[in-house]
Amino acid sequence: MSIAMIVFLVLSIVLLSMGIYGGTVQIPDAAAVEAGAKMPGAFAQSVAQLRNFYLMLGALVLFIVVYRFLFKRANLKVQHLMSTTIRYVILIGVGVFMVYPLLWMVSATFKDNNEIFSTLSLIPSRPTLDGYRAAMNDYGGDINIWRAMLNTYKYVLPRVLFTVISSTITAYGFGRFRFRGRNALFALLMATLFLPQVVLNIPQFLMYRKFGWVDSPYYLALIVPSLFAQETYFVYMLIQFMRNIPRELDEAAKIDGCNIMQTLVLVLVPMLWPAMVSAGLFQFMWSSNDFMGPLLYVNSPARYPATLFVRMSMDADTGFSWNRVMAVSLISILPSLVVFFLAQSQFMDGVTAGAVKG
Amino acid sequence: MTKAGGASAVRPDLRRRRKGLSKLEQGYMGFFLILPWLIGFCVFKLYPFISSLVYSFTDYDLFKGVQNFVGIQNYIDAFTKSKNVKALQVTFAYAFMTVPLKLIFALFIAYILNFKIKGVGLFRTAYYVPSILGGSVAIAVLWKALFKSDGVVNTILTMLGFESINFLADKSWALFIICLLRVWQFGSAMVLFLAALKGVPEDLYEAASIDGASKARQFVSITIPLISPVIFYNLVTQLVQAFQEFNGPYIITQGGPRNATTLISLIVYNTAFKDYKVGMSSAMAWVMFVIVMVLTLISFASQKKWVYYSDDDGRG
Repeated sequence: MSIAMIVFLVLSIVLLSMGIYGGTVQIPDAAAVEAGAKMPGAFAQSVAQLRNFYLMLGALVLFIVVYRFLFKRANLKVQHLMSTTIRYVILIGVGVFMVYPLLWMVSATFKDNNEIFSTLSLIPSRPTLDGYRAAMNDYGGDINIWRAMLNTYKYVLPRVLFTVISSTITAYGFGRFRFRGRNALFALLMATLFLPQVVLNIPQFLMYRKFGWVDSPYYLALIVPSLFAQETYFVYMLIQFMRNIPRELDEAAKIDGCNIMQTLVLVLVPMLWPAMVSAGLFQFMWSSNDFMGPLLYVNSPARYPATLFVRMSMDADTGFSWNRVMAVSLISILPSLVVFFLAQSQFMDGVTAGAVKG
Repeated sequence: MTKAGGASAVRPDLRRRRKGLSKLEQGYMGFFLILPWLIGFCVFKLYPFISSLVYSFTDYDLFKGVQNFVGIQNYIDAFTKSKNVKALQVTFAYAFMTVPLKLIFALFIAYILNFKIKGVGLFRTAYYVPSILGGSVAIAVLWKALFKSDGVVNTILTMLGFESINFLADKSWALFIICLLRVWQFGSAMVLFLAALKGVPEDLYEAASIDGASKARQFVSITIPLISPVIFYNLVTQLVQAFQEFNGPYIITQGGPRNATTLISLIVYNTAFKDYKVGMSSAMAWVMFVIVMVLTLISFASQKKWVYYSDDDGRG
């Protein structure tokens, strides 16, 4: 069975790569010996740990055996109940794993620093706003969290707008027109989907430095490329969407006397609108999360966006005031969270639109 | 799908009809529409791409510019200097741990969600939130708070009777923690799998169970082949992404302990912007590019063996 072979292959590659990795890092050095030096009684402790681990593993195996035993003897109705229960248990278990860190983050912002790492409880025993109060502090008079947020959206919003417009026009050109070299250019477009940004970063930096875009007050290095539909993923996504819009509509518009741009704006845009919204939403999220871009192209603290500000406040604070760090972090992602919850279904549709052929 | 209707196909052009296209607008207009993209492509993609290759054969310094042409010396260094070799190994370990774990997990959860689960929307949202926020600095900071030596995970371990582990200072754990941050973001892959699973026709399963196929057998023989295009898409995109991971290691571990989490993208950044060796850095970037390209090409070539594209999507 070819599938089984692929699974086997993948697993063996994983194991192999872990093996390579494990094998080569074992270079003995002073620091590692020091860190790994076992204290007296360490052996007993590790035995105790192993025992804990095997006990849990044993409990799991026992549970599976008992479950299968009962399952085989149960009637259909009970079987159905059992499998439904186990599904919900898994889903809720994974859900906790997904959501607990986020909830913990929210609750940590209301805890005092002594409490943060001492309990797992999500409800602060002594609720306090100290974290938020500290989060509002200025940094050297130049930057605080609100200015950082403002800075972020100074480039995120133009980027979203320009990306949607330029990608729609490009998708229109590729999706609806035939011209010399179209297929070659389309192949080029698709190839850039797989082009790793890392290869481009350094020459782009050198180029933008020559243009004077580095540390520009208008974030030119972050905004200008979006005018030229350079986020290929969105172009691709919009082309996929456009394929599902009957071409007869364009032809009807043409017969009614629309020119090419009128056809786009009056006929296609209303049909494409959901896809354009998805593209805009994704660009909003990605640009707000973008770290590498600001790291390279924003230098003065007064122009720091939220991503750089969060990192700076963590570096300055690590070790003592984690409620402040968590409050800053939470504020920085709050707009993204709100946008996500307001527009969930567009996100889900957007993810599937690009990949699943319509 | 739009089918070329008999009425609109004035001139029967077989080649075009096979592609399912009706009449496309001819002439130069389309070219003008894509011109901004093409200019952007040349300036922001093609030129950097080629100049990066050129720099990789020089000793370009971030402030002094090019001084000498050094031939393939940078590439020799990329494969001989222990720091660089280590970065390659770590990146492979990272990618080959993250991608399969993430895909298997995403498929598993999507499979369960595809049963008639009440509140499927709620679960889907809960699983998807991390992938929308996961790339942000805030989440990387959170990850650090979870896994630091007196962090949340260690509190849990101590409660369960385990010894606490200094995850971020331990060489083999640190990389795994960085991987885990990625695996935690399995939501987008899962949403894709879920959509694909919903597209598998119910009657195939019915027919199979009448023939006596077990659930596992049905999964391997029906589900996997029918969703293989989506598995393929996820595999390629995740692979390309995994090789470019930067934020996690940069913020959580700064590449440490002792370079155990220094991925290629990190070493490319450090070499260029901390050591100012743009030439060397470009060579490393190109090594990474070639690796990603080869893996992508292998994936595309392997498509024929295991990816099934149905010609007519009649059920769409």
